[in-house]
Amino acid sequence: MEAETGIDESIRYDFQNHIDSLNTAPEWWIQYKQDAFDSYMDLPLPRRSDENWRFANRSDLDVERSYAFDGESSLADRSKLEQASQFTETQSGSYVFADNQLVSANHAPQELQDKGVIWCSISEAIERHGDLLKDYFMKQDVDLGSEKFAQLHSAFVTNGILLYIPKGVEIDAPFCAYNWASTPNGAIFPHTLVIAEEFSSVRLVEAHLSDGEDAALSCGVTHLFAGIGAKINYTHVQNFNEQTLGFQINSNIAGKDSQVEMNSVILGCRHYRSETHGQVKGSGAHVDMRSMALTDAGQEIDQRTLQTHSAPNTTSNLLFKNALKEQSKTIFSGLIKVDEGAQQTDAYQTNRNLLLSSNAEANSLPGLEIEANDVKCSHGATTSEIEDEEIFYMLARGIPREAAQELIVYGFFEEVLSQIADETLAERTRELIRAKFRG
Amino acid sequence: MTTAASQIDIDRDKGDFKYEESHKYDAGYGLTEKTIDYICDVKGEDDWIRDFRKRALKVFESKAMPTHWATKDLDNIVFDNIRYYLAGDKQAKKSWDDVPDEVKETFERLGIPENERKFLAGVEAQFDSEAAYSNIKEAVAKDGVIFMGSTEGLMKHPELFKKWFGKVIPTGDNKFSALNSAVFSGGSFIYVPPGVKVSHPLQAYFRINAENFGQFERTLIIADEGSEVTYMEGCTAPKFDTATLHSAVVELVAMPGAKIEYITVQNWSSNVFNLVTKRAVAHENSVVKWIDCNIGSRLTMKYPGVVLKGRKARGEVMSIALANDGQHQDTGAKMIHAADETTSNVISKSISVGKGRSTYRGQVHMPKHLKGCKNNTECDALLINSDSRTDTYPAITVRGDQNYVQHEASVSKVSAEQIFYMQQRGLSEAEAMSLSVNGFVNDLTRQFPMEYSVELKRLIELEMEGSVG
Amino acid sequence: MSASLEIKNLNVNIGDKRIIKDFNLSIPKGEVHAIMGPNGTGKSTLAKALAGHPDYEIVSGDALVDGESLLDLEVDERSRSGLFLAFQYPMEIPGVSIANFIRAARNARLPDGEELNAPAFYKELYEKMDMLKIDRKFTSRSVNEGFSGGEKKRCEILQMAMLNPRYAILDETDSGLDIDALKVVSDGVNALRGPGLGALVITHYQRLLNYIVPDQVHVMYDGRIVKSGDKDLALELESKGYDWIKEIADDAA
Repeated sequence: MEAETGIDESIRYDFQNHIDSLNTAPEWWIQYKQDAFDSYMDLPLPRRSDENWRFANRSDLDVERSYAFDGESSLADRSKLEQASQFTETQSGSYVFADNQLVSANHAPQELQDKGVIWCSISEAIERHGDLLKDYFMKQDVDLGSEKFAQLHSAFVTNGILLYIPKGVEIDAPFCAYNWASTPNGAIFPHTLVIAEEFSSVRLVEAHLSDGEDAALSCGVTHLFAGIGAKINYTHVQNFNEQTLGFQINSNIAGKDSQVEMNSVILGCRHYRSETHGQVKGSGAHVDMRSMALTDAGQEIDQRTLQTHSAPNTTSNLLFKNALKEQSKTIFSGLIKVDEGAQQTDAYQTNRNLLLSSNAEANSLPGLEIEANDVKCSHGATTSEIEDEEIFYMLARGIPREAAQELIVYGFFEEVLSQIADETLAERTRELIRAKFRG
Repeated sequence: MTTAASQIDIDRDKGDFKYEESHKYDAGYGLTEKTIDYICDVKGEDDWIRDFRKRALKVFESKAMPTHWATKDLDNIVFDNIRYYLAGDKQAKKSWDDVPDEVKETFERLGIPENERKFLAGVEAQFDSEAAYSNIKEAVAKDGVIFMGSTEGLMKHPELFKKWFGKVIPTGDNKFSALNSAVFSGGSFIYVPPGVKVSHPLQAYFRINAENFGQFERTLIIADEGSEVTYMEGCTAPKFDTATLHSAVVELVAMPGAKIEYITVQNWSSNVFNLVTKRAVAHENSVVKWIDCNIGSRLTMKYPGVVLKGRKARGEVMSIALANDGQHQDTGAKMIHAADETTSNVISKSISVGKGRSTYRGQVHMPKHLKGCKNNTECDALLINSDSRTDTYPAITVRGDQNYVQHEASVSKVSAEQIFYMQQRGLSEAEAMSLSVNGFVNDLTRQFPMEYSVELKRLIELEMEGSVG
Repeated sequence: MSASLEIKNLNVNIGDKRIIKDFNLSIPKGEVHAIMGPNGTGKSTLAKALAGHPDYEIVSGDALVDGESLLDLEVDERSRSGLFLAFQYPMEIPGVSIANFIRAARNARLPDGEELNAPAFYKELYEKMDMLKIDRKFTSRSVNEGFSGGEKKRCEILQMAMLNPRYAILDETDSGLDIDALKVVSDGVNALRGPGLGALVITHYQRLLNYIVPDQVHVMYDGRIVKSGDKDLALELESKGYDWIKEIADDAA
């Protein structure tokens, strides 16, 4: 529409520049991007009547008007970011990106490479692992409302990581990916693709961070594939500044007898939209989805989840906890979907909202769609303030009111944080929460 | 167990009958301004009502079907194939003797027992569009309670009627409230004066007995300060080949300190689209309780609501839904908190049998500046067969000070162990299943008024008797 | 100024209802006093009102710790001034470990900018847990969450031991305890007895006073103390029953 009227065609120029910059990329990749861009242009912005956008702020979704997609970066100090990208004690490998560009890379130990482990950037994967990408890149459906933004991601994605674990390889120390946004009104497109083959086991930590206080756009996608009996443990820490607009589209496919664990810690962004689809596809599979968010002035954290059970004897468990300060807003919209024939499914969904201010607003839409009868499914949602008696008990021990509130909030999040396997990462996360809580 | 479960089928014999149709007034098929003129002329309505209806028609035409969130089955309603106004006789009957024999026979077949009639403080039963029978107990009238058909209420008590009519549910609330506002006829009007406590429930039975015929009752109940009233509405309908449409609007007003209990047994035949808007306004210290039981119809969409407008007002919805093959019970509750220290409670139980689908939709809203409000919602779904379906879609928004909201939902099946245990005691599988289902709803039905409990139990037993087959 | 917890002509309301009526009591530092009385007589109200619970309105009178009035202090300030309340029903605090909770309370007692010495803190904590026969694994458990009745009460006494109050009020600490747990809790309290602590033990049953032997016993009825005496008063009360107190109270009125 806009292209026809000539009002705003800058995204077309940005896209052309982006394509021109990919001069060494294979033809299929260029074509893939071209198709994605066309789809992006064709798809409408979310409308008021879209159930997937109920209660959501849609006023800032027309991202073309506010952000540049040309890939220009004002990043000056790379070593500073490299220093700040240390969330875990040990690691099997790490990548640091800023404004979609590679800042530093720690490759996987030779021993793992010899076993066939692939740990590389997406730009490297395009050159060297095209067949893997053709099979797995953006191959999971995006169906929770951000279809248009997923196409935007595909059109402009340049970096992120590919992690491939061959059959039977078990790795203890986590792989780490750090994505920084640095340029004012810039856009980043972090991509994370994990493929865990039969009976392999792997951990991945991803952090999304801001360098400075300027507004930026982040549009990220994380796809996890767990093969038969595989284990994937994924922790995502989002600590952008509070000017950032963020989209995060997550999906996983859990094969037979596999286990997938996804933990999210959400602190930053002015407006953050995250979508997580747990696809429990193989019998005996188990998926955990956990999240905690601490929000303050003006923030809107909008989370949509789907737990799909399409095979019998599967389990999933979701726990999303939000603590809201000041005039902030959260939306939790979750659905458990049990397909016909997916008998002996156990699926649970819990949303807890703790209001710390009378100006905060918590929206909760916990849903169930059940088409099999031999199942155990339940959901629970509560929204409340801190109980007076709880505060009184702490005051009676001489703990000042503010400190008491703080302790209770940290305690509230522990149910999620205690599940983070890496103790250093958990501690780092607690520090970020403390820093944010104290403003 | 699956084999026994698959035998469960709802016996609708009680509703599978119909009588010769003879309608003195018939507005014909389809809906235009002419239809409205016909209705107004026949009923002898004032111009303000004619204008009101015509405005509503425009709103109805301008509104899209809510299929972006509701079932696509709504698209199967062909509005041009529906007759919007039929009436057997214009005047409401004054006594039981004046009621035509065939109508009496209908009541007989509906199985309203003689001894229960004794309970009825007044009967307002509707046969097709107009009230065919109206009998207000002397005692009720003596206390100044007005209980009559809404058409009569509109004529005789315009000052009361106009003050609240369309205020709780505005015409444009949704497509079907607009449709009702355009073509409404029938339904009840009740006014209970301050301090009057109506000791027995006021009852009305409704029937549809015409093919392709839509019914559009409009009920308005006003309980003045400190008064109390219980109203019971029950329906069965004969089975037809083509779909019929039922779209009622029910508005309740509970003035300060008043109590209203509104009880529904819905048992339309399984070709009826039942799209109902029910809402109450609850003023200070008042209590509104909706008890809603949905057993029949092809598709029911109904979400009784309470706008809690006065301090310490309380709203309750207790509902039971039973969905069998080809049925979709899409029900729920809306609790809009609009004053401090208001409380609401929603308990919903649904049973899906065969390919039946039951859906719960809920809305709880607590805006800014409110203090000390509480909501509790519990939804339990029971799935009988392997291809039965249930959905739950609540929407909860909480702001303000010291407000507390809790929502819980669970899905379960009849436990095989339980069935085995009962079979070991000599019950058949189907009997055991029936007992289990009754057990599932029992903690809710126990809280219902005795008369309603009896009615409901009979209906559920009837449903489950068919399953023993 | 006298070193004592002094309650003078205290009147306390819940809503419009007077619960504590012209109540007077003085507990010199170093002594243990017990208050006994039938249910609903105002014992717990007295405890919570002294701690500053917002539901209880102090209509008139005063309560002083070593000559300083408590009434203008906030709940936490009262605690830091040296008044400890062992709750009848301790609250559960999900996600907050006992160690972190007590650390926060100790930190609040340090001057601004001063940090708690963590190794010394843990050494002290473990010693006191050993004394109260609390398994060290408990330090990382959330405060009172999933605790048995006895564990909750031991956790209260542990907090008391760690916070070194000048005056402690034990509100029905014996309720819900079996005899073994009662002994452990009593031993803990007895270990803390000394010239630096004044204690008020509130109980419904004489049993507790076999283990925590009081210097004085007061009988409370209808919001007032109606009789005081030495520890033998508790035994007399146990044998004669609370009806006897009713008679005394009625005679006095």
